[in-house]
This record gives sequence, C-alpha cells and structure tokens, in this order.
Amino acid sequence: MLNKHFTIMQVLTGVYNFFRPRIAGMVVSILFLAIVLISIGFTNWNVVDQIPQDPMDQSNIQGIGMLIFTDFVIPFEILSIVLLATLMGAIYMAKGDGT
Amino acid sequence: MAIEDMAFLIPVLPALAFVITFFLGKKLPNGGAIIPIIAIFTSFIISLMITLNLLQNPGQIISQSYSWFAILNVGILIDPLAAVMLSMVSFVSLLIHIYAVGYMSHDKAQPRYFAETALFTTAMLGVALSDNILQFFICWELVGLCSYLLIGFWFEKPSAASAAKKAFLTTRVGDVMFLAGIILLFADIFRIFNGSIPEGIYVLRFDEIFTHIPEIAALNTQIFGFEVSHLTIITLLFFGGAVGKSGQFPLHVWLPDAMEGPTTVSALIHAATMVTAGVYLVARTFPMFIAAPHSLIVVTYFGAFTALFAATMGLVMNDIKRVLAFSTISQLGYMVLGLGMGAVIGITAVGDSMFHLINHAFFKALLFLCAGSVIHAVGTQDIRQMGGVRKVMPITFVTMLIASLALAGFGIPGTSIGVSGFFSKDPIIEAAYLFGESTENWLPYLFSIVAALLTSIYIFRLIFMTFTGKPRTNYQGHESPFVMTIPLMILGVLALVFGALTKTGFGRFLEETFTNNFVNLDIHALSEIGKYHLVSHGAGNEPLMILWMPVIVAIAGLLISYLIYGMRVIDMSSIVSRKNPVYKLLYNRYYQNAIFTQFLAVKVVYEGLALAGRAIDRGFDWMVYLIGHIFTEASRGLRILQTGVVQNYATSVVTGVSLLIILVKLILEVF
Amino acid sequence: MIPLFYYLALSAIVFSIGLFGFMTQRNGIRMLMCVELMLNAANINLVAFSSYNGDLTGQVFALFSISLAAAEAAIGFAILMSIYRVRDMINLDKINVLRW
Repeated sequence: MLNKHFTIMQVLTGVYNFFRPRIAGMVVSILFLAIVLISIGFTNWNVVDQIPQDPMDQSNIQGIGMLIFTDFVIPFEILSIVLLATLMGAIYMAKGDGT
Repeated sequence: MAIEDMAFLIPVLPALAFVITFFLGKKLPNGGAIIPIIAIFTSFIISLMITLNLLQNPGQIISQSYSWFAILNVGILIDPLAAVMLSMVSFVSLLIHIYAVGYMSHDKAQPRYFAETALFTTAMLGVALSDNILQFFICWELVGLCSYLLIGFWFEKPSAASAAKKAFLTTRVGDVMFLAGIILLFADIFRIFNGSIPEGIYVLRFDEIFTHIPEIAALNTQIFGFEVSHLTIITLLFFGGAVGKSGQFPLHVWLPDAMEGPTTVSALIHAATMVTAGVYLVARTFPMFIAAPHSLIVVTYFGAFTALFAATMGLVMNDIKRVLAFSTISQLGYMVLGLGMGAVIGITAVGDSMFHLINHAFFKALLFLCAGSVIHAVGTQDIRQMGGVRKVMPITFVTMLIASLALAGFGIPGTSIGVSGFFSKDPIIEAAYLFGESTENWLPYLFSIVAALLTSIYIFRLIFMTFTGKPRTNYQGHESPFVMTIPLMILGVLALVFGALTKTGFGRFLEETFTNNFVNLDIHALSEIGKYHLVSHGAGNEPLMILWMPVIVAIAGLLISYLIYGMRVIDMSSIVSRKNPVYKLLYNRYYQNAIFTQFLAVKVVYEGLALAGRAIDRGFDWMVYLIGHIFTEASRGLRILQTGVVQNYATSVVTGVSLLIILVKLILEVF
Repeated sequence: MIPLFYYLALSAIVFSIGLFGFMTQRNGIRMLMCVELMLNAANINLVAFSSYNGDLTGQVFALFSISLAAAEAAIGFAILMSIYRVRDMINLDKINVLRW
C-alpha cells in the first residue's frame, strides 16, 4: 500500500494526523528549543582555542581511567553498589511470582 | 561532714527511691519496698540529727540558697518549724511504709504503690524545707498530684477513680487561690523595689517576704468600697490554699472520699503528708498573718466551725475509715483554730498548733493503721458488721485504745500525766477561752468545747462497736503479722508519752523560729500592724474550771458512748432511724453532696458555664467554618489543574521555565 | 574544527525531541525512551563542555550518568513489566489507582 499510493500528500496528512492531537506539546517543545538555541547562540563560551590533541595518543581513555580510580574512586564504588542494588531490585520485580 | 551539707539529701533520697522503685520494683521482693524504707529512714536520721542540733544550738539553722533564674531561687531552710515537720513527716512515713509491706502484700501493683508513696513523701519533705514560696508551691502541687495518684490507686474501681478526681479538683480550687496570692505577693514586692531588684536578692524567699511585711501591709486597695490591705488579701488567698489542702469547711468534701485508696494511703494523707501541708503553710507564713488585719479572725472562725461541723458528721458514720476521716477534718479544724489564736497569744499559737499537728500525726496514723489492721483481718469496713474484735486482735485493740484516748485528750491538768492529745488540744481550747475573754467573742470557745465532747463520743462509739460485744457477723479474724503490729506499737508508745515529754520544750523551741532566727521579727510590732491585742499572760492562768473543762467533756463523751454503745441502756434504734430529722441530716452529711453535685456542679458549672461556653463555641465554630468554606469554594476551580498526570506537570514546568527565561531576557534587554 | 555551538544545538534538539515525546506519549516504554533521550542530551553537553575546556572530569561524569541511566531504565522496565502482568497494558494515564 505504501508503495502504490505513496504521495507527498499522504506523508503530509500522516504528519498532520500525528501532530494534531499533540499540538500543545509541539508548541511547547518548539518554544523551548527556540529559547535554548537562541540562548546558546548569543552566549560567549569561554573555551580553549583548540582541542588539545596529542599526536602520540589520540584517545583520552587513559585520562578518564586515571580520574575514575584516583579522584572519583568513592563515587565509582558507590555507583557499583547502586547498580548491584538496581540489578537485584529489577530482577525481583520482573521475576513475578515464579509462574 | 557537717550535717548542713547533708540536708539536701532529705528530699533527694526518697526521690531517688521513687525512680528506682518505679523502674526496678518489679524485680525486687515485696515490690522493692526496701528501697523507699531505707531512703526515708536515712532522711529521718538526718532530720532528727538536725532537730537535735537545733535544740542544743538554736542559732544553727540551715539556710542554703542557689540562684534558679532571674530573681528566683531554690533553697533549703531548716529552722525549728521545718525541722520538727521534717522529722515528723519522715518518721510517720517510715512507719507507714514498713506497715505497708504487710498491708499491701497481696496487691499486685506493689512497685507502683511504693514508688508513689516515696514520691508523696518527697513532695511533703520538699514542702517542709522550702526556703521560698515558689518552691513551696511546686512541692505543694506535687503533693496534690501524688494524692490523686494514690487515692485512685485502685483505679479499676469507678468510685476510687471519681474520688481521686474529686480530691484533685477540690484541692485545685484552693491551689488557684494560693497561686493568686503568690502572684499578688510577687507584684507587691516588685512594686516595693520599684521594679529594680538588687543583685543577690531573691524576692520570693521567706526572709525577704517577712522583711517587707510592713510595706506590703501599707498597700491598700478598694474592694466593694472597703479599704483592704494587700497583706490581708494575700494571707486570705494563702489561707484559701490551706483550706483546700487541709480540708477546712467549704473544701473538705474530698477528704472522706479519699478513703477509697488503700488504708495506708489514708494514713499517709491524713496524718503525715497532705492535710498538714495547709496548716504548715499558715504556720510558715505566720508573720504575714499576724500583721494582716482580720485574717486571723477569719482563720479562727473557719477552724472552729470545721472542728464542730466535722465532729457532728463523725457521730453517725458507719464506715470505720470515714469516722476517722471526719475526725481528721475536725482535728485539722483545731489546728487552724490554734493558728487563729495568734490573734490573742501571738507567736505561741504556732507552737500550740504545730504541737497538735505532730501529736495528731502520731495518733491519727496509729488510728488509721489500726483500722487498716482490722479491715485487713475482718474484710469489711462497716463497723455494724464488726464487734468483739478485741478477742482476736489484742495488740490492735490496745494500740487503738491508746490512740482514741489521745484523740479524746485524757489527762490531769497541771501535771505531766496525760496522753499526747491532751497536752496539745487543751492549750488550743484554753487559747480560745482567752480569745473569748479578750474580745467578748465566745463562739470559737463554744465550738471547740462542743467539738471536744463530740470527738470523745464518736471515737469511743467506734471503739465499742468494733472491739467489744459479740461478733455481729461471721468473720475469720486473726492478728496481723509483726511487720504491721510493730509500727503500731511504736506509734502507740509515742501517742502515749510524746506529749508529756515535750510539752514545755516544744512551744519554746518553735517560738524561736520567727523571733531570733533567720530573720529577726518583732511579733508585737507586727501584731500592731494587724491591730491584734495580744494578751500578755500565757495559757495556764485561767480559772480551774476552764482547765478541767476539756477533760470533763472527754470523760462525759466516754460515758455517753459507753451507755449507748457499750451497755446499750438507750435503745439505739429510736435515735438511729430515718425518721429522726437530725440523724437524717447528719447521715446525709448536711446534704453537702447534693449541694455540691446537684447545685454547684450541675446547675452552676454545667448549665451555666458550660452552656454559655457552648454558645460561644458555636460562634467560633461558625467563623472557622466560614473561613474554611471560602477557601474550599475558591479552590474548586483550581482543582481542575491538579490532574495528577506527570506529563501535564512536565508540560507546565517546561512552559513556565520558557516563559520565565523570555521574561528575564526581555527585562535584561529593555532595562 | 567543529564549533561548540553545533554540539550544544544537537543536544538541545535531542532534548526537545525527548521532551515532546515525554509530554505527548501515553505508552510507558515510549516515555522511558524519551527520558533516556533527554538524559543523553545532557550527556552530550557534558562531554562537549569537557572537551572544550580541556578537563576530563566532565567525561567521567558522563560515564557515571550513563550508568545511572542504565540503572533507572532497568528499574523502570521492571516496574512496567509488573504493571503489564497485572493490567495487561502499559498505558500510564490509565494507571491511576494511587491517584488521590
């Protein structure tokens, strides 16, 4: 069906039918997006001129690893516990009554 | 270690005993009775040592004060008056505690009992050794609380619960007056200092109050067109508190009902702790009373009337404990009358009254404990069902007889032969005679002498109906165990000889309280402020007839009682019948129950105050409902927004944030 | 070199799409997916700023946020599964037994 009667009108009608009951959400989202984009565009971001790129080492994996296991080791450990708890909770809830 | 440093232990030890017994009593034998007994015994030893020390060195009163906050303090003051009171309270309380080990042995709530009585004793000791009126009031209220707890000890019984409530509410009437008096006193002293209290002066300390008596007396106020001295108002309000606690005429109704508690509690309330607090208050603030015009006259009439009024009701009661209760009210009337006699004999009145208080404590505790012993053995409180108990309980009979003799006041005037009640009651009656002689007002004397006759009749009626004759019902009587009879014997010996041993020294000892002690007071100067004319010659110089009169009426009462109840020469049924209007009036206790309950409680308090209160309440209700209604109606429209769907909320949040940002941007751009 | 604006714009667009979906969709799983979109828009921001500031901390935070998103999704799907088992549907606006 899609192949036979695929016209631009049908696409437009489909889009219209999709958005018509969601017009309020549409308006709000676009409003929000516009504001954020305008805000971003008119802000002077204080950034480094150039992304530091070491020709010898293109990746930053090593730096991230160092940070995780030095400065952020405690959040990391806590996060592991949170994940474990989540795992157990999710299994418990999803398991059901065993049927 | 000096004895002064241990003085604070007197109330603290029983308080500790209260805490320990309350929490650990269940794990100890006899409900932990041993802990309060040891604590009160130690308190008694310390009190006795202080008293003996004061006897030898009258100047060594103990006065310790610590700043509490602002211009108030807490402190200990042990002068002769307090020392005597402390020794008596701790001693009688100790004996009652020992006795209670036997008496309460079958009760399952023993720990609670011993904890509460320990607290009761603490409160009363605190009253006795307070050095300022506020601390006095706090302990006084604690006494009231403990009386509530103990009268309602068997709270499963509705009658006990309501008696406890009655006692609490009735004494509360007096307490409110007492508090009002304290507030007025505080305001007056504040005014005398012009609002700036120097450092180190605590305004409610007794010595501070007594120093400022002339200034307070000079303050006047208009009441119904009469110039009334502030001191008179304050003392009468204090006396109102004493009326409530000591069961004087209008507020005595709680005392007979207080019999609903265990007999040991009755003994504690009636002899050692609660009811003496009111008399002690008046004795403590006696310099104020003697400087206040008219106050002592009011005290005299209340005391005399109560003495007679209660004695008439004691005549017809059939409950052994109720007879004793009315007897207590009557004897308290004597004590108050004795204090009122300060109008003629000055400071000696305090000695007389306190002497009667101490003696009364001994023989009334003895009477109650004997009655408890009989009740314990016979299992009823109705003396009509007893009779012939003498055969099964000889020790109890002898001790009760001694107590009754002491209550009736047998002795030979002019010698040292006599029971304790004789030496303390007679000076009061003689002082009443002096009062009549000097003011031509014989009513107090008449009341007191008739009350003495009635006292003798009712107490021997009790003795004859209970102990002599044949048993009127079948009861399984047996003598009480030693733990109960030994306190009886100790008290019996004291009731017999205490008065004779101390009759001369006691009064002189107590007179030193106010004259050359912690504060130097010139009683004669104070009595001139109060416009009382003190009689210079002391008691004992009256005509011989007056000296013998109390003994004669006591013997007459014994004979009348013996003829009616012992020999039965007069048929009782002709007197004791519902047709006899006098009997009916007395048996119904002057219809005071009807007056207080039907009229005062139902008509005035309920229909008057409560209904008026309900109307006001309705008004407030209507206002509150109106305000609530306005908001309910207003929020009805807003409720639609509250859908409960998270998505709607998220939409609102994002919209709001967007609009806010736009607004902020606009403001930043424009301004 | 790509300017920072492009990353931020991408992130804003992804966030808006997630927002639109979250506001309009009734299906629980779709809503969860939209939430994930919004979270990942934030992650893009974190990484972009981190790179352009020469500080790796932001990227570490992005990693943490991804793992938390995983946890959240796991729990969310578990809850949806139990709801589905009881009610045979996961239309969240019909599930209002706890609504006042």
